[in-house]
Amino acid sequence: MDRGYLMRDHTADMAIELWAPSELDLLVQGARAVVDLLTRGASVHGADTREVQLSCVDAEDRLVCWLNEVLWLALSEGFLAHDARISLGERELRATVIGEAGAREKIASEIKSVTYHDLWLEHASDGWRARVVIDV
Amino acid sequence: MRVKIEKLDEYRWQIPREGKMRVPGLLFASEAMVEDLRKDKSLEQVANVATLPGILGRSMAMADVHWGYGFPIGGVAAFDEDEGVLSPGGVGYDINCGVRLVRSNLRREQIAGRLEELSLAVHRAVPSGVGSQGHRKLDDRELHQVLEQGAGWAVRNGYGETADLEVMEEGGCMRGADPSAVSDRARERGRPQLGSLGSGNHFCEIGHVAEVYDEEAAAAFGLEAGGVTILLHTGSRGLGYQVCDDHLRMMIRASSRYGIDLPDRQLCAAPLGSPEAKQYFSAMACAVNFAFANRQVLTHLVREAFERFFNRSAVDLGLGLVYDVCHNIAKWEEHEVGGIKKRVCVHRKGATRAFGPGHPDVPARYRRTGQPVIVPGDMGRYSFVLAGTGRAMQESWGSSCHGAGRRLSRKAAMSVARGRALFRELQDRGIWVRSDSKATVAEEIPEAYKDAAEVVDVMDGAGLARKVARLEPMVVVKG
Repeated sequence: MDRGYLMRDHTADMAIELWAPSELDLLVQGARAVVDLLTRGASVHGADTREVQLSCVDAEDRLVCWLNEVLWLALSEGFLAHDARISLGERELRATVIGEAGAREKIASEIKSVTYHDLWLEHASDGWRARVVIDV
Repeated sequence: MRVKIEKLDEYRWQIPREGKMRVPGLLFASEAMVEDLRKDKSLEQVANVATLPGILGRSMAMADVHWGYGFPIGGVAAFDEDEGVLSPGGVGYDINCGVRLVRSNLRREQIAGRLEELSLAVHRAVPSGVGSQGHRKLDDRELHQVLEQGAGWAVRNGYGETADLEVMEEGGCMRGADPSAVSDRARERGRPQLGSLGSGNHFCEIGHVAEVYDEEAAAAFGLEAGGVTILLHTGSRGLGYQVCDDHLRMMIRASSRYGIDLPDRQLCAAPLGSPEAKQYFSAMACAVNFAFANRQVLTHLVREAFERFFNRSAVDLGLGLVYDVCHNIAKWEEHEVGGIKKRVCVHRKGATRAFGPGHPDVPARYRRTGQPVIVPGDMGRYSFVLAGTGRAMQESWGSSCHGAGRRLSRKAAMSVARGRALFRELQDRGIWVRSDSKATVAEEIPEAYKDAAEVVDVMDGAGLARKVARLEPMVVVKG
C-alpha cells in the first residue's frame, strides 16, 4: 500500500481519509492532512522540532489525540507540522514533530477540533486505513 | 443503518423505538425535508441519542436538523436527574454559540444609501476572521472574572448597559461556573479572543424588519416594519472548543468505567451525579459565560461604530438589546414529566430555548408574549424572530430551531460558488458583504443553507414557536 490522505465531504464538517503501510505512517499522513486543511493547501517547510507525549485508551483514541495535538501546536504557537518521528507504546505515543515554527500567518481556515464521530481505523493485511471527522 | 420513520401529522415524524433505543425519536419536518434527511446520517444520530441512559420522553430533532457529530445539529434531549447522563457531545465544541438581536430607532431609508461606508465601519470595528483576536488580551484575574461572571463582567467594565443583562438567557451568567475546571490550554486559546467574531458561520448583520406577522409581540420586542436591526452570531471561540475537547477525553474513559454502551464515541457521557459530569458542567458553564461576555463586548463595539458613523449616541439611536439566546448548551430546567414537575438536564445542540408566555425564566417584559426566539437564515435571504409557546413547554422541553441548517458541505458550496462574483451578486440584491476571506464567503453562500422560511414554517405549524417578524440583511460582516 502507498500512503496519502483525501478530504471527504460531510454536511457540517469535513472528513479525512488516511491510508499508509504502517500505523506510524498513517499518523504522519493525518498530521499532514490537518495542516493542509488549516492552511488551505499552503506549502509548509522547516526543520524545527517539538516533543509530544500522549496517553490514550486505544489506537482510535491515540489517532484523535495525536491529531488534536498537531492542531494545538498550530493554534498555540503557529507551529505547522509536516513530518514526525513517532514511537508507540500500548497506550501512549511519543513523537518528535518536525515542522515550520512561527507560521501562524499561513493558517487560513478554522478547525475547532478533531472528533470521535464516525471514527474508523482498520489494520488490513496490506496496511492501515482510517477516517476521521473534523469539526470546522 | 436504515432508520424507520413514521409520519404522525403534517409536521411530526416518529422514529420508532428499536434495538438499543430507550425512547422513540421525534422529528419536526415537512415531507420534503424528510426526503433530504434520508440521504445522510441525521436520523441515525437521533436514534443514537435515544440509546443514552436516563433519556426522557423522546430524542428530538428540530426542523433545521442536519448531520453533526455525536448528537445531530438541531438535536434536543432531556435526561433524568437520577438516571441520566451529561454528554459534552450533546453540547458541541462551540459551547454557547448563540445569537443576539439589537433593535434601533433608525429606519431602513436612513442607511440604504450609505451601505458601502456603513459596512466598512462595522467591519473595522468588529475583529473577525480565522483566529481573530479581541482588542484586549485578558490577564489571569480578568479571565477568571469573565468565566465566573459572563456578560455581567463586560457591563461592569464599560461594555454596555445593566439593562442588557435583563434580556439574556440566564441573565448572561450561568450558575455553577468553576474556573478551576478550565484547563490551561483552554485559557490560552480564549485569553486573546474576547470580543472577536471568529470565522465560519459567525457574522454581524445589519438588516431591517421586512415583515411583521404578530404586531403585539413585535411591539413588545421593540420591532416595527422598516426598523433597522443588528444580529450578532458567535460563541465561546477557542476556549469553548478546548473545554469540549478536554472533557471528551475524560468522558471516553468515564463511559467505559460506568458501563455506558456507546453507538458513537462522540456521545461519550457520564452519570449526572458523577464527579466527571460535575467537572464538565463547571467548565461548560465557564465557556457559556465567556460566550455571553464575548457577544456583549462585540455589541458594545458595534454600538460605538454606530455612534461614530451617525454622530449620535447609542441611546438616541435606540440601540437596545432585544434578546440573546444560546444554541449549544446543557441546562438544568424544570419540566413536567408524566404530569409531575421535575428537574431535568436539557441538552440543546443547535437548538434554541423557546419558553412560552408566563414562564418565570422569561424576562418580565416578554412574559405576555413568550421569549424571543431568534432564527438566523443565510446572508442572502432572511432571518426570523419567533416567540416561544406553551406547546413547546409540553412537547419539546421548551425548544425550537436555531437557524436554517446547512444543506451543502463546505466543499460543495465552494464548487457552487466557483467563477461567480459573489460580492457583486449580493450587492445587486442590496446586501454589502465584508470579509477578510473570500473562501469563507464562498463556503457560506445562501445556497449552502436550507430556506429558513420553510424551517420556521414547520416550527410555527407544529406550534413550538410563533412567527413574529422577518428580517432582511443589508450589511453582513463575515468572519
